[in-house]
Amino acid sequence: MNKTATRKRSFQQDFSLLALLLIPIGVAINFVGFQLAQVLRLPIFLDVIGTILVGVIAGPWVGLLTGLITNSITAIFNPVYFPYVVVSMAIGVAAGLLSKAGLLRTLPKAILSGLVITAVAVVISAPITVIFFGGATGNTSSAITATFLATGQTIWQAVFSSTIITEIADKVISVLIVFFIVRSISDRYLSKMKYGEQYMKRNRRK
Amino acid sequence: MATNAIRALHPMTKFTFALFVTAAVIAVPSYLFAYAMFAALLVIAAAAGVLREFFAFVLKTLVVLLIIVFLMQLLFYPGDDIIGGWWVFTLTQEGLAYGLLLTSRILAIGSAFILFFRITEVKDFVKALENMGLPPAGAYVVLSTLQIIPEMRRQSNVIMDAQKTRGVETEGSVLVRAKAFLPTLTPLILSAIASTEERAITLESRAFSAPVNKTSLHTLERRPIDTGLIALFTIGAVALIVWRVAVWIL
Amino acid sequence: MDPVIQLKNVSYRYPVGDEQVLKNVSLDIGRGKLVTIVGNNSAGKTTLCNLIRGFIPHFYKGDLEGSVLVDGEEIADAQLGQLAEKIGYVFQNPFIQISGVKETVFDEVAFGLENLGVPVDDIRRRVEDVLQLVKIDNLRNKNPFELSGGQRQRVALASIIVMDPDILVIDEPSSQLDPVGTEQVFDIIRLMKERGKTIVLVEHKMDLIAEYADELIVLADGEVKLHGPVREVFADPSYMALGIQYPHAAALALDLQEKGMELPFLPIRDEEVAECLARARRKEGRP
Repeated sequence: MNKTATRKRSFQQDFSLLALLLIPIGVAINFVGFQLAQVLRLPIFLDVIGTILVGVIAGPWVGLLTGLITNSITAIFNPVYFPYVVVSMAIGVAAGLLSKAGLLRTLPKAILSGLVITAVAVVISAPITVIFFGGATGNTSSAITATFLATGQTIWQAVFSSTIITEIADKVISVLIVFFIVRSISDRYLSKMKYGEQYMKRNRRK
Repeated sequence: MATNAIRALHPMTKFTFALFVTAAVIAVPSYLFAYAMFAALLVIAAAAGVLREFFAFVLKTLVVLLIIVFLMQLLFYPGDDIIGGWWVFTLTQEGLAYGLLLTSRILAIGSAFILFFRITEVKDFVKALENMGLPPAGAYVVLSTLQIIPEMRRQSNVIMDAQKTRGVETEGSVLVRAKAFLPTLTPLILSAIASTEERAITLESRAFSAPVNKTSLHTLERRPIDTGLIALFTIGAVALIVWRVAVWIL
Repeated sequence: MDPVIQLKNVSYRYPVGDEQVLKNVSLDIGRGKLVTIVGNNSAGKTTLCNLIRGFIPHFYKGDLEGSVLVDGEEIADAQLGQLAEKIGYVFQNPFIQISGVKETVFDEVAFGLENLGVPVDDIRRRVEDVLQLVKIDNLRNKNPFELSGGQRQRVALASIIVMDPDILVIDEPSSQLDPVGTEQVFDIIRLMKERGKTIVLVEHKMDLIAEYADELIVLADGEVKLHGPVREVFADPSYMALGIQYPHAAALALDLQEKGMELPFLPIRDEEVAECLARARRKEGRP
């Protein structure tokens, strides 16, 4: 009964205004998540939580924009990592598509989604690391890459291996954090988001 | 503030210049050329009165990365022309050359954009993009993001302090510290999300979605010198790329 | 009466709500009137405001029955952004009611006119006028983020008034303000009434209502229980049963009445109390 009522008066433009206003918040969550992880000295980045969250509740396009704007704003202060914008955008899209497929409804599925997003991040970021930065990054994963290189791996093998190692915990945990946060968002808000309905408490109980 | 001749240029003029630098150092396969480009950027920064700030940003964001990039090429880049050895590593001419070329390019391109953002107000750049066809809603999202980030950072500090006084541990083992993450982030996210509804109502109350062409109090001046420079940089970049492709094919 | 806002048999339920928030509401609001809506929590006051401004059904979905007409036009057929020129809307939270992208109060107030595509010269002139009118000219170069709640609320009002809408819907503008801020906001409301605006105001400070409002609408459980001139509504015996406050003067007088004093009329403003008591004494035959 509820669903038909919602659809009956569905106006695309209004959906998109709320979704648009979610983008700055998603970007800010990325920044705050990263800052918090630094303050708490956690060994992972946690800097895509906002992008994933936006993708999950507002869909792949809004997720893509969140990724784009996050890296564009980072570029104001540090433009050198801007090539990774493609990774952020892909993560937003992937989160949206996974949500559409219902792969964030249960904890085991969310872990699977975390692995899918890890794969997306690795497949796109590793070539950027090799081509733009000769395999180096500004952080500890360079040391891991160097270790693999020293054991005789090619640059591609080494970068892929080290990227998987540094990304997997980060992305799976980020998706799990989003999984828990989405469950505490109010039904009232979720009902207005493209993919929100499936996470509403009243629908989960059924 | 815009009394400085360089800073007074149109944002797109400055942006085209950064793109020109990018195209040039990729087209010309010489690390000397790219390092010379960096020197030129230093001169421009000085002329624009932002040398100190520019240099500080370059040091902070690029130096460590460049050292790592250089060492990795020097130590691991495959090559036959051995020029020395260190511990278990063999150093090759190819590695040295590639290391110099790659770092010089990263330095030149990275610095070009660092300089761009030191001499351009983001607000002006967004306005320029809007003039070029970025939808007003997109411009709104970018500008609003710039205001929300510091606001949410401030709030997260407040929440974190509150959690500490409530006994949530932020020191100790990784696991203990990790447990402080969600209780800090979740309330922040929920309150931010809850506020979007009222923000949407505020915007609609100000005719945000009115189906007319918006006007703007904030306008950018585009002078003949801007048109001239943009043409010059564009032609320069295209010429270098054409030259490069021609050399490559012939 | 020349009704500018008309509700006919309106019922509404929010998408995630189980119950109707408004039930079969019909009312007319006359042009140039200051009409106040009172009622306890969840009586449907804000919902009624959202309905008049068109946020229902354009922004909030859910089930809407009946019709809402503004100037004879069905609100559901209007364009949400365009309605800003016709109906101004200000609500309680002063901290969220800023565009979030402007760096000065001047630019903030200009935002609505920019969105309406008003020529730049006109914008400057109109913003200047409103800054003077609302007495916030001293704030013109301040960042909206740095203002106090009361200042922000006045900026929010100015940002709406500058678009010169005929109707103002104002939802508890003073609930988060101190007495000084409240007074400044009500000065603006009085000014707008003098300029002939139709004003729909949700407010719970009864003394202010007694002083400024023409009509009072009492909502309870989503229904209009009473609607009429302020004085008549307060004097209506059924008002008391609704458990809503009276103005101080009326509360005092009703206490006296309960203690056996016969009232010649029900005072609703403080300055009427003396007159009321004097007449009551005369009636009792004392000097």
